Amino acid sequence: MMQTTSLIRCSNLLPPSRFAAVAASPLLGASFTRSEASFCVQLPSTSSQNYRFTHSILRCVASNSVQGRQMASEDGQDPRISRIASAIRVIPDFPKPGILFQDITTLLLDTKAFRDTIDLFVERYKDKNISVVAGVEARGFIFGPPIALAIGAKFVPMRKPNKLPGEVISEEYSLEYGTDKMEMHVGAVKAGERALVIDDLIATGGTLCAAIKLLGLHLACYFLQSALG
Amino acid sequence: MSAYRVQDPRIHGIKTKIRVVPNFPKPGIMFQDITTLLLDPKAFKDTIDLFVERYKGKNISVVAGIEARGFIFGPPIALAIGAKFVPLRKPKKLPGEVIFEEYTLEYGKDRLEMHVGAVEPGERALVVDDLIATGGTLCAAMNLLERVGAEVVECACVIELPDLQGRKRLSGKPLYVLVEYH
Repeated sequence: MMQTTSLIRCSNLLPPSRFAAVAASPLLGASFTRSEASFCVQLPSTSSQNYRFTHSILRCVASNSVQGRQMASEDGQDPRISRIASAIRVIPDFPKPGILFQDITTLLLDTKAFRDTIDLFVERYKDKNISVVAGVEARGFIFGPPIALAIGAKFVPMRKPNKLPGEVISEEYSLEYGTDKMEMHVGAVKAGERALVIDDLIATGGTLCAAIKLLGLHLACYFLQSALG
Repeated sequence: MSAYRVQDPRIHGIKTKIRVVPNFPKPGIMFQDITTLLLDPKAFKDTIDLFVERYKGKNISVVAGIEARGFIFGPPIALAIGAKFVPLRKPKKLPGEVIFEEYTLEYGKDRLEMHVGAVEPGERALVVDDLIATGGTLCAAMNLLERVGAEVVECACVIELPDLQGRKRLSGKPLYVLVEYH
């Protein structure tokens, strides 16, 4: 098992601010190898002559390059990684035949390994002026809050539909069959904040990408309201 | 017992950060929204600290958190007191072999599951959730832990709705809460 972070750059055409989101998860899905190809996801760009601004374009790039993906388990591996990796249980054929499910619950039973997992993220993100940790339901709720607390950031849950009680913005994303939807409370995140997105695992990246879009869209809505006065 | 009665100075800050959303998920319900508490790093930290101060050094080796908001408060407490974290989940989420406990809802039933082998006989456990209402979910959680031979030391929630008398459903098990809403 390997840890990975993907550095996401947002080319934001909404002057004057920029925002950066970083996605982190302790696992790379077992079906990906170290030599995976880079992938790029682009949001559609829309421009409206009425409002004179362009929707932000988000480019997600995960690659093998030194500047791109970084893995804590590369050469010069942190000594804590191997214990973390061996604490994760692989369950074949869950939730359906052919899938090797990466079960982090066994990691949570190893107090040192769980502590080390959080410490590795905290060491990376402390003092980087990150004010938001967004965690994807439900396993992102396990890793996100301890990181948020340690770096002094707020925690924002990204939830399945109809769970959050207040006003929400939502983002649809595709599944193998059909679509799902992710929601975030309006007002949880403010323009200009630096955010981290946390989940236990990245596989195809669909969920994480939806989370990043939500953070970006929320800021776009903020500017829209400002433009309208 | 609740810290509310002891009036720890941090309690007021925590209570004011909880947002009440009327008529969610249905008319007549005043929903206690803890997401606004999570937006205040100091208040969130104080919440965790109050539980940690209570449970540190008490030989508690398991913190069981109830999906999903128990996953937000449980792990930080577990990490700080050196306990393992055990997620108690809705059906079919846990990939390994599970044991389950059914409990009744207003209409119908639901089920809480725990991985076999996560908790061993004789372990001292906490159950954590954001809120206790009728106590049905907490009761199911306690039953799961006791069935595998653990001792439930206490149930810990941020919020209690005392009018719903959830405390009574806990079969005499202690309940510790930070704030009450009447």
